[in-house]
This record gives sequence, structure tokens and C-alpha cells, in this order.
Amino acid sequence: MQVEKVDFVSFLTEDIPRAKRFYAETLGLEIETEAENDMEFRAGQVTLDIFDPSSIGQAFAPSPAGLALRVPDVAAARAELEAKGVEFDGETVDTGVCHMAVFKDPDGNSLMLHRRYAPFDDGRQP
Amino acid sequence: MADLGVERADFVSVPVTDLERASEFYESLGLTRSRGWSERWREYELGNVSLALIPIEMLGRDEFAPNLSPIAIRVPDVAEARETLEAAGVEFPVETIDSGVCHIAPFRDPDGNALQLHRRYAPFADGSLP
Repeated sequence: MQVEKVDFVSFLTEDIPRAKRFYAETLGLEIETEAENDMEFRAGQVTLDIFDPSSIGQAFAPSPAGLALRVPDVAAARAELEAKGVEFDGETVDTGVCHMAVFKDPDGNSLMLHRRYAPFDDGRQP
Repeated sequence: MADLGVERADFVSVPVTDLERASEFYESLGLTRSRGWSERWREYELGNVSLALIPIEMLGRDEFAPNLSPIAIRVPDVAEARETLEAAGVEFPVETIDSGVCHIAPFRDPDGNALQLHRRYAPFADGSLP
């Protein structure tokens, strides 16, 4: 089987207008498509699809592991989001190669501000 | 707008209960290990983004809940890829869906994380081809 790429990753929502405010205004992601029960945002090179499962009679469940968004500076981005009322799960983690700050969208889907600072094994910079 | 400066998605992750079993499954999809490989978690290349398999212990939760929001994996031909995976023992719970613009075949990894084989065949509104 040949895997070419990821066309989209998705999160479920119970409230499309609330999700739109969060992703478009709070996180500042560009809207790719917009419909009553489904919206697509550009998360860099990947499309993030936000879908209301009740529109097809399916149950809602938040994504437990989530999507890591690369930002230039995790501390600065975290401060901006906290100023907008976003709550983070614990302190920012320094793994030894990257900074990670975990937070949730209004539906409880897991997201992360992420920045690798260590070079890769082959010497390339992240 | 964009004042956080989101540059890209570094990885998308799914929770797993058994790292070895999950690794075996994702390697059976033909994915290659990424540079972010670690003993504590695993990362695979999915073309434009890495997929991280995160052991439940690392998430700090006692109860396991799979990711039910699908990751759509683009393949050249959904029917063909589905046949290959079915022959390898992967179960597809429903018939392949033709949405009118794309083919979708939902399936799950061994922990119940939602995936789908996906191929858009219709041109986009601007006339470009997927």
C-alpha cells in the first residue's frame, strides 16, 4: 500500500460556531472551507477538519492525543493564548529536544504548542 | 490573525495501550519510522506530517479512550489499498463510501483509533486536481 500523505486530520465538535471562534480567532488559523456541520482550517501543511458528528447521528468524543502545532516560541505563544483565556494542562515540558505545552479546545480536543530546538541526529535543524 | 505564528503541524498523535503491537500495525501499512523515533514513543512518516504513537502512560491517564476523530490517509486507489489491508487481516466495518467527491474507507488500528483511506477524485472548485 502506498501512503502519499495525510489529507486531513479531524476533531469532533458539539458546537461549530464556538469551534470557529476558537480556531479562527483565538488560534488564528486560516479557514479553508466552511459549512453548517463541517469546517476546514489550515494548520500549516495539514488540513484540520472540524466536524459535528450529531449531524450524521454519531456520538461525540474528544480527541485524547492530538495535534502538535509548531510555533516560533512556545512560551510567547502560550502567554498569548493564556491572555485570551485558554487553559493549559500543567507547565510547559522541556523534553530535552523540544518544548511542549498541552492545551484543549472548547470541546476538549487535545492540542499542543510545540517547538523542537535540538538539531536532528543528522545535524539538520528543525 | 495568525499572531501565534503557527508554522506547521509537527505531528498528529494517537494513544496506544501496547506500543509494540501498534508499531507492528503501522509498519504493516508500509509507513517508515521518522527521525523523531524514541524508545518511549514511536513516530512514523505520513507524507506531510508525522504520526506519533503515544503510550497511555505518557498521557497520564488511567482510562484508555481511543481517538475517534479520523486521520485521512491519501492513497492512489482506495479499493486497491483496502484489498491489500483486508488480505493482511485489517477489518473495515462498512462499505467504502463515495461522497460524490472522494472515496472513504474507514478502519481502526488495534487500539480502536480511527483512520480512513481517502482519495478525492473530483477537481477542486478552482479546477485544480487533487
